Amino acid sequence: MSALRIHGIVLSGVGGQGVLSLAQIVLEALRRSGFHALQSEIHGMSQRGGSVQAQVCFAEVPLTSPILDEGSADLLIALEPLEALRHVAMLRPDGHLVASEEPSADMAGYPPLEDIYRALKAVRGACLLDTEDLARRLRHPQAGGMALLGMASRHLPVPEAVWQAVITERFAAKGERVITKNLEAFAAGQGLVPARAEA
Amino acid sequence: MAQSTLALGVEAVGCAGFDAGIKGAFGYPGTPSTEGFECVEALIHAAADGRVAQWAANEKVAYDLALGVSFAGFRTLVTMKHVGLNVALDAYANSALTGVHGGLVLLVADDPGMHSSQNEQDSRSLASFAWLPCLEPSTVQECYDFTLRAFDLSEALQVPVMVRLVTRLAHCRAPLDRREALAPTGLGPVPAAQAQDWVLIPSNARRRYEDLLAKQPRLLAALADLNRSVPGPSRRGVALAGMGRAYFHQLALEHPELRDLPRLELAAQPVDPDLEAAFLATVDEVLVFEEDYPLVETRLGLRARVKVHGRMDGALPRVGELSPRLLKAALGLAPSMGTPAELDLPVRAPRFCDGCGHVDAFEALQEALGNLGATAQARVFGDIGCYTLAAQEPLSALHAVVEMGASISMAVGAALAGLHPAVAVIGDSTFGHSGLPALLTAMDAGADVTILILDNRVVGMTGQQPSQALDQVERMVLGMGIPEASLQVLTPLPRHHEANVKAVAAALQQPGPSVLVFRRECIQSLRRGVLREHDRNEKAERASACCSLEVQP
Repeated sequence: MSALRIHGIVLSGVGGQGVLSLAQIVLEALRRSGFHALQSEIHGMSQRGGSVQAQVCFAEVPLTSPILDEGSADLLIALEPLEALRHVAMLRPDGHLVASEEPSADMAGYPPLEDIYRALKAVRGACLLDTEDLARRLRHPQAGGMALLGMASRHLPVPEAVWQAVITERFAAKGERVITKNLEAFAAGQGLVPARAEA
Repeated sequence: MAQSTLALGVEAVGCAGFDAGIKGAFGYPGTPSTEGFECVEALIHAAADGRVAQWAANEKVAYDLALGVSFAGFRTLVTMKHVGLNVALDAYANSALTGVHGGLVLLVADDPGMHSSQNEQDSRSLASFAWLPCLEPSTVQECYDFTLRAFDLSEALQVPVMVRLVTRLAHCRAPLDRREALAPTGLGPVPAAQAQDWVLIPSNARRRYEDLLAKQPRLLAALADLNRSVPGPSRRGVALAGMGRAYFHQLALEHPELRDLPRLELAAQPVDPDLEAAFLATVDEVLVFEEDYPLVETRLGLRARVKVHGRMDGALPRVGELSPRLLKAALGLAPSMGTPAELDLPVRAPRFCDGCGHVDAFEALQEALGNLGATAQARVFGDIGCYTLAAQEPLSALHAVVEMGASISMAVGAALAGLHPAVAVIGDSTFGHSGLPALLTAMDAGADVTILILDNRVVGMTGQQPSQALDQVERMVLGMGIPEASLQVLTPLPRHHEANVKAVAAALQQPGPSVLVFRRECIQSLRRGVLREHDRNEKAERASACCSLEVQP
């Protein structure tokens, strides 16, 4: 029997940013696209403003391990730049990084932003997004996460219709306006293809 | 109708409890077990068919509630985290002797690696301690299937059955296929003729203990199909339990050569010694992958001929959780490497939410101690909850945090030994959990302690479940015999800071036990409106009580 390729995604950020919610959208989208997928998440104290991380693994056969090894993720989606750097070692050499440039710096010893940006841009396949600016332009304070997912979506084998359906269902309880706003943020992210990403 | 959904491991256990036709579900919140109860609670509320889901004041109460449902002849599920089982251990260990009537399944979620706990004890050892069976799933679907099986086993063997999860499985989200749900079926209460089995006076207990030991061979037989030995051409084998099983199977997908290793796969204990002996006869050395304590490893190591590797000989770290990376290293597979950032990254520790009332309470306490010149000698005994965060920078306000309820009793002990000031800080839910008996003793001993009850009206840290002590804290304190003059209710808000400092200082100087209740709702629950309906109803009730007084003839 031959070895099997298992795909991995890491999602990271700060407690309260919606990392787990984004991970659940990715999980559901992959499942509906015909993959066997698992997601791991850590709850509890970390949700009080600490570092939060979720992982999604998927393959064409059933999987049993919800956690990834270092150097084995195809994609890292980070809602905060320091929390992106914290997990870059999880990426494969040919992996992709999609990260927000917007710092959540309310903590001791936060490194200078330019150092963080320099380190992030040194990651091969890095794609950074000024989520603060985008949120302002879209008049949607929480647009960042969905826009990052939109940017990351071209690295994921999920048909457009599935993304639309999963996002719509996810926000269904919150009404038509919230659904529209989130689909809009996702589409905005899809439309952003910075030159760096093609390097 | 069978249905497929996405669920966490603990939620799969909750679903199985519902589908097995339980009459009652009970628990006390604790990461990573909480969502198991919340899942079955939601199903029970939606069904509205007379079943009960009830958070209990603590894990022992939860277990006794479940045992009562079992006595009454119905199936029941009780959930808690590993350290919660310490609180319920008296009930759990003795229920092995009474046995069960309706099936009783205990979900325990262990936390190897201590993601959100004060230790990483292994609940499997408490199951063997009590001579009771323990099932150990490794996937979300197994969480469901094993829980259904646990109910059948519980009724067939008339013992409580533990289903043990660990954090990684408890919080793994994956597809789940459910079976058609059974409705609760009552057997009627324990018949009068058998009631003596449940009365554990020494004469009965001796008989029941012998009955329990006599059941052990039946127990082995009933679990036999959950454990298996899979042969392979290699003389090097692996023994796999829990997440060790899950991680190994996935590694074998990526590294097909691993399929040559003979495997001992364990999903239930106790394990038939003959199965282990037969497996060991086929190998010269064995690597053991199990989560937490080296239980299987130690047992296999007693059979001298075979070399056993694991946590005891350094093949795996002695502490912490398993991971695919650790398995790879132990199996001699090349590690996969990533490139870390070339920058020192500070830890982003969890912290109090902006605007949290706990911070205001601690600031008042610290300033009061400072004003009395007592900062250096004062010792503050903390407890388990969000407010434990005060132990770290910048507050550094706690000097001991041990286990649920320890704050009050440790402060009392220290005060009786002459330490002054001795201060206890405890949350409202933890106070209801195990602070109450400690306060009774504080009162009886007349100990010179100052007790701060941080009442945020919910179980904050685990997701703002309603606190059992909701709106009752002062009455509970007075009921324990604390005089009204020694009790003050304060509002932890910046604008009350000066008044709060004065109140704390006065309490610190007053001899005997004094209690300060700092009450302000958790800002997370306030945002989510957890208590909105409760408060509206209370207000309406108060208003109508007023009216009825006013319209007297």
